[in-house]
Amino acid sequence: MTSLFLDIVTTAAILYVVATGLLIVFGVLKIINFAHGSFLTIGGYAALVVTQLGLSPWAGPPLALLAGFVLGAVVEMLIVRPLYNRPLDAILATWGLSIVVVQLITIGFGRGTNFVVSPVKGAVVVLGTEYSLYRLLMIVVALVLGGVLVTIMQGTRLGLVARAVIMNEALAQSLGINSARVRFITFSIGSGLAALAGALITPLLSVDPLMGVPWLLNAFMLVLVSGTSLLSLLLACVVLGGAQVVVSTYGNPVFGALTIVVLAAILLRIRPAGFARV
Amino acid sequence: MSEHPFAAGIPAATRLPSERWRIERGIFAVLSVLTLAVVAAGPLVLDTYSVSVLIRSFLYGVIAVTVDILWGYTGILSFGQSVFFGIGAYALGLASTHLDFTSPIALGAFVAGPVVAAAAALLVAWLGFGPRVSPLYISVITLVQAVIFVQLIYTGGDYTGSSSGLSGFDTFDVGMESWFRIAGAGLVIITALAWVFMRSDVGRLLIAIRENEQRCSYCGIGTARVKTLLLVSSAIVTAFAGFAYAAFNDVVAPDLGNFQFGTELLIWVALGGRGTLIGPVIAAVLIDFVSAYLSGSLPFVWQLFIGLLFIVVIVLMPQGLGPALTNGMLRRRAKAVMVAPRLTLLPDPVVGDAARGPVIEITDLSKRYGSLTVLTGVTFGASPGELVSLVGPNGAGKTTLIRCISDGLERTSGTVKIGGKSIGRMSPEGCVRLGLGRKFQAPNVFDALSVADSLRIARAQQEPLSAWRSSDEVRLPAAAMRVVVATGLDQQLGTTVRHLSHGSKQALELAMVLAMEPRVLLLDEPTAGLTKAERAAIGAILVDLVRDHGLCILLIEHDLDFVRDISSRIIVLHQGGIVIDGNVTEVTTSELVRSIYSGEPGAVTP
Repeated sequence: MTSLFLDIVTTAAILYVVATGLLIVFGVLKIINFAHGSFLTIGGYAALVVTQLGLSPWAGPPLALLAGFVLGAVVEMLIVRPLYNRPLDAILATWGLSIVVVQLITIGFGRGTNFVVSPVKGAVVVLGTEYSLYRLLMIVVALVLGGVLVTIMQGTRLGLVARAVIMNEALAQSLGINSARVRFITFSIGSGLAALAGALITPLLSVDPLMGVPWLLNAFMLVLVSGTSLLSLLLACVVLGGAQVVVSTYGNPVFGALTIVVLAAILLRIRPAGFARV
Repeated sequence: MSEHPFAAGIPAATRLPSERWRIERGIFAVLSVLTLAVVAAGPLVLDTYSVSVLIRSFLYGVIAVTVDILWGYTGILSFGQSVFFGIGAYALGLASTHLDFTSPIALGAFVAGPVVAAAAALLVAWLGFGPRVSPLYISVITLVQAVIFVQLIYTGGDYTGSSSGLSGFDTFDVGMESWFRIAGAGLVIITALAWVFMRSDVGRLLIAIRENEQRCSYCGIGTARVKTLLLVSSAIVTAFAGFAYAAFNDVVAPDLGNFQFGTELLIWVALGGRGTLIGPVIAAVLIDFVSAYLSGSLPFVWQLFIGLLFIVVIVLMPQGLGPALTNGMLRRRAKAVMVAPRLTLLPDPVVGDAARGPVIEITDLSKRYGSLTVLTGVTFGASPGELVSLVGPNGAGKTTLIRCISDGLERTSGTVKIGGKSIGRMSPEGCVRLGLGRKFQAPNVFDALSVADSLRIARAQQEPLSAWRSSDEVRLPAAAMRVVVATGLDQQLGTTVRHLSHGSKQALELAMVLAMEPRVLLLDEPTAGLTKAERAAIGAILVDLVRDHGLCILLIEHDLDFVRDISSRIIVLHQGGIVIDGNVTEVTTSELVRSIYSGEPGAVTP
């Protein structure tokens, strides 16, 4: 029972880390970044490069964050900015980008599956159950990430401006806010967070060129049911991630993989606002 | 044409749709026959490998046609069209693997695939096209559909062949050359049928749905039903293509129905040119054919190239490569002749006893958003021949009231009766069918259609649209005709609505609403943004409509002088309730009204 509880909490934490970047991009830019999964893959390969170079595994996540941030900035300027008024086309163009990324990675690293060295190993005993230390660490990461983002949104000028753009972009612009710059910074941060998430989850999974796709689908659905709220996202991750763990544990792992997507789709049909403003 | 206060229409040389149709049909028939001849001769000149690849490419071309109709024309972005292909393919794969491959079994699979695909499409449509569902939801649900398809195949284990699929099952004893001709002829025929369909009046309706679904609903068109029919038909066609794929290749795999393939279809359509039919077909066949050739030597570089090209096309030439190239080549061609049908005046309807008594009755209507009450206890009725103006300061609830009258899901409580029938929880199209017409505040029209097509779509309830030809005639009732002629729109029938002036768009929307022959007309600031001359013209028309055609008009207006000139009755709304309901003199001399408008909110409580 304890182990099931820990599974649920750590799964929710991992989903939260993976989906936050997509959520803030959706909130501010009102577009779905279908390249989110490929930024995640890029982060995974950043961690792989760190392993292959024999560096400390702790260098993986920061390096991934940096790589994602820089690439995200370039992508925003070249692809996202011209499509700002065509949100459906932005979905398609970012999906095209993810095809490009997958092919580039395949050309560079091959199609094979790789493994990354974990920065922390082993298990600890929690409430009488032995549990993976790294998975527990993800709870801390999710809390820190959530805390930092909330602090930025509530306590800094950038956060204030971003909230203004989320609520009413036209008004924000007329008040002299450079919303193009807000979008640019947000997209870069969102991409950086995706890559960071990719580097963070790789010690738990393997690295391959298509690793981002299932995560993209889950993150996409979680963001749709969360609207633009970081808190709703947390709730969605706990409820839907928890359901996934329960279905995988007691039912069929294949159906477990479907749980988030199907439940989110049903929820959206019944309540288009999803978990937002509950 | 300078006497028109609206736009000075420049009458161009116009041609009737049937004349253009005759020319285009000729060209297209010749092209189709030529293509069929090429397809028939293909196996004689191509090597075996090319023939076998092209069979697949042709089948993919068929799906591209369905995706283009759904997405390019109608605006339904589906990530899961691949699923229907997968269902058709697995129908044969499963039947042939687990049962004896006899004629009845083969026929059963041939029918079962499309039936299952149609059922799946029906479910998706029910989920995705429901009332109050966001337009993005259909994309979400089709994506989910693709994920579910793949997971179901995995769950099937040995029965479905899991991730490696099924292969080596018995199939039809048909030679490769015949398959080539079947697939090729199938693609030409499907494309030709789609081409005729998209050029018909119903084809215009699909574009109208893409452009402005709300306006379609308010023309009384059940858009959800149209989209459902379209999705189900496309699923059936796609499933047949999937069946042919499995029958020829003798292999089925989960990849046929996954989200990546679904997206690849979108890429082909976007590259070839959305809404052009031929472009997507050429793109699908060409890209798949070249992919097969390059898959051995440089598979990843080719995919990379397609991905990059896709991004460039989406960002820089959203209309697609096909149109971008052909427009470049044909730039010097003279401007096309305007094509427009002619207008015909309908005989006046016989006004019977129905014209007596109130045609709209609102009883104790209220609207709340959570704890915020916007309207409360609104009760009034109006009869034919009345022009009732709803006035009141901003935030009084005027537009909300109009919304509650025209959409059964809007109000919190109370009843609304149109022509004696309660609207219940009806959708806008239901209310429209009871005899309601609604003109919005900002022009709410179909930007991509011509004036004539817009008017015809507004008449779709009275005169069903043809699915195979473009009509030569738009029949309008006298009231609509009056607006069209008085504002010079009759000289601009072939003009694309996007190019009309603001005033002409307002007039067009009014004409469209009148074309539906409503008994109650709801007008939300019909003169907003118009010049003084245009405003006077509209006012005169409204007065005539009420007097000569026995219409009942509910008008929201801020311009009190305008209201005074044309109204037969005025209702003043304030803080969500009716404060005065009386004739023009009563209201304009009222102290109450003066205090409301002079901004003393505490002075009155409804």
